[in-house]
Amino acid sequence: MDVLGNYKSAISARSTDKDIQKKAQDGGIITTLFAYALEEGIIDGAIVAGPSDEPWRPEPTVATTKAELLAAAGTRYTISPNLYLIKEATRSYGLDRVGIVGVPCQIQAVRKAQLYPIGMRDVDDKIALALGIYCMENLSYQALEAIVEDHCNQKMESVKKMDIGKGKFTVYTERGAVSQMPLKLIHKYVQPGCHVCLDYVANLADISSGSVGSPDGWSTVFVRSMKGNEVWDGAMAAGLFETKPMDQVKPGLDLVKKLATEKITKNQKNVDARKTVGLKADGTPKGLRNPYESP
Amino acid sequence: MSKVVEISPTTRHEGHSKLVLKVNDDGIVERGDWLSITPVRGVEKLAIGKTMEQVPKIASRVCGICPIAHTLAGVEAMEASIGCEIPEDAKLLRYILQCANRMHSHALHNILSLPDMYIPGTDVKINPFTKEEPVRSVALRIQRLREIGQTIGEIVGGEAIHPSNPRVGGMYKNISPRAKAKIYDLAKESRVLAQEQMEFMIAVFRNYQKRDWAEVGGVEVPILKDLGYHNQGYMATAPMYGSSSLDENPTWFPERFTEVRPWDWYMGEVEIDEADPNYPIGGTTPVGNKAWPQMEACTGVPLYDGQPVEVGPRARLVQFKNYDEKGAIGLQIARQMEFPETAYGIIDAVDALDTSGSVLADDIPQGDGTLGWAANEAPRGTDVHLARVKDGRVQYYGMLVPTTWNFPTCSRALTGAPWRLAEVIMRAYDPCVSCATHMLVIDEDKRLVAQKLIQ
Repeated sequence: MDVLGNYKSAISARSTDKDIQKKAQDGGIITTLFAYALEEGIIDGAIVAGPSDEPWRPEPTVATTKAELLAAAGTRYTISPNLYLIKEATRSYGLDRVGIVGVPCQIQAVRKAQLYPIGMRDVDDKIALALGIYCMENLSYQALEAIVEDHCNQKMESVKKMDIGKGKFTVYTERGAVSQMPLKLIHKYVQPGCHVCLDYVANLADISSGSVGSPDGWSTVFVRSMKGNEVWDGAMAAGLFETKPMDQVKPGLDLVKKLATEKITKNQKNVDARKTVGLKADGTPKGLRNPYESP
Repeated sequence: MSKVVEISPTTRHEGHSKLVLKVNDDGIVERGDWLSITPVRGVEKLAIGKTMEQVPKIASRVCGICPIAHTLAGVEAMEASIGCEIPEDAKLLRYILQCANRMHSHALHNILSLPDMYIPGTDVKINPFTKEEPVRSVALRIQRLREIGQTIGEIVGGEAIHPSNPRVGGMYKNISPRAKAKIYDLAKESRVLAQEQMEFMIAVFRNYQKRDWAEVGGVEVPILKDLGYHNQGYMATAPMYGSSSLDENPTWFPERFTEVRPWDWYMGEVEIDEADPNYPIGGTTPVGNKAWPQMEACTGVPLYDGQPVEVGPRARLVQFKNYDEKGAIGLQIARQMEFPETAYGIIDAVDALDTSGSVLADDIPQGDGTLGWAANEAPRGTDVHLARVKDGRVQYYGMLVPTTWNFPTCSRALTGAPWRLAEVIMRAYDPCVSCATHMLVIDEDKRLVAQKLIQ
């Protein structure tokens, strides 16, 4: 099984924009691509995880300027229901070309909405750029609070950055404290839905990006679709990224493949287990619907 | 000796209706009954006990052609009942929505009425789907007008069909400055198209008026000068938007409204003794069948001052713009004359709109059971919704919709016309039958036990 999906090229990259580098989680790929697409008129606005009233709780926002994009840069390890705005973006926001960023399941939803636009009248043709980010699993806001405040013993308000890498969840505070906890302790907080997801690197996005496989401060980028390729080439030609070929960086594509395989094999077991969940009246297994099989 | 012809179903309009016509030996209608045979929706019954936010959304589902009118009338009936004044910007958004809906609906009706007409100066019937000019560019213009109307409706209403944005107390969301600019651009474009469309359509209708005959199912039928004339009154509440019981000077008066049952209004059982198998779309009902209009009609017969009245574009123009042309073609022309105002209305309202203004009332009372009504000038006429709201729940809900008013009026307008042109007269009213249908209760002997819901 091809765990990384179809892609035209895989590159290790980093934004050359100093402002973005400062704010970004890793390579600043998504922010830079959206900024470029806005500048070039490829999109009129992008649905991103913007800031909200609570610390580290993202709120879906329509960004139409680079400043708004910068305010939304960086990863918050909790859910931002970006799809919630996709219809409204084409309505009261008046956008004709919408960019959207999301984790794999959200990109699946975008594609499903395009394929079968029920309740999405005049939305499907207005999605101009769908960018995906890698996702192993996701946490609710309450779970993130518990992890940061109870396990890591830091106040949410004072956290400067959160990071997942090398088997650890790390919290950096404004006063310089660094607090870590092993990732495996997080698993009990993971949303149940994440246990049946068979997509790690946003296989259906135009471009997907994430830190795994590249050195610190860099991101691994998969350019997948024709549209994604066009945008990527344009951004490269404009000098917005510095890149390294994937085979020259450590830990390289093998790690991405390893994690993707891990996620998919683990979750496939859950998908299979659900086939026998519950019993029908006659005693045979009822089974939950497998989202990856057509009925 | 008069004979009975039945055209069932009638075509090229929304919903399901039929014409039962008593005609004389010359084929002239002596008495015409136009009645709805659309299955009953029962929305008014569904509404009872629901929250006041829910009911306008349910009410809009009665039909997909003027859901905006039903949503706005429904929402405003709730507001009228609870006594809630909405902010100015919310009113402007609703006004834009109203204009956008009318623009799209009138353009749609053009497509439905054009096939009865002729390319001016020729004997060639217009087929709006042909590739040939000038019809091709007219069809494209109609499509563009509809696209603009629906897009503006989508931006302001959240959805062009069954808008989600209007709510009790105002609107859920204001629009962004970018959306405002987009609406302005679209309205500017449609202003020119609407003017051209109006001029073209009026030329086509005037040409029809001047013709001596029209061809229907291979028969040359004389076009009488008084085609579709009637002597009923007109009812309209505003040139564009509407009125409600919250207004300082309401323009609709519930006490002038009464209703009779179809049983007391329409013809009794008749046997069909004339038919024309060549009549367009499958011929008329064959001889020997029976029709029973007073049993089959699914609408009440609303009266205003004890008489059926006409609602719609001509009624608005007669009441507010001193228009005086009678007949089916007069009504068609009145409809076209409303075209430019839809675009101008959007431009003016969007100019006045403050995109950062609040669109939701600060205080939304929950209602004490007062009767409130709101009339909305839907594309095809006055759409009145009545409601009683108590503690946020709907106790009573009634819809008096445009085509219900027009059914008895149009039936009278059929008298004196050649029966083969009855559908041309009926189509001039831009009928939208499905929302005009109301609940009837019939017992085992097929007697009408109760026709309740409005009263």
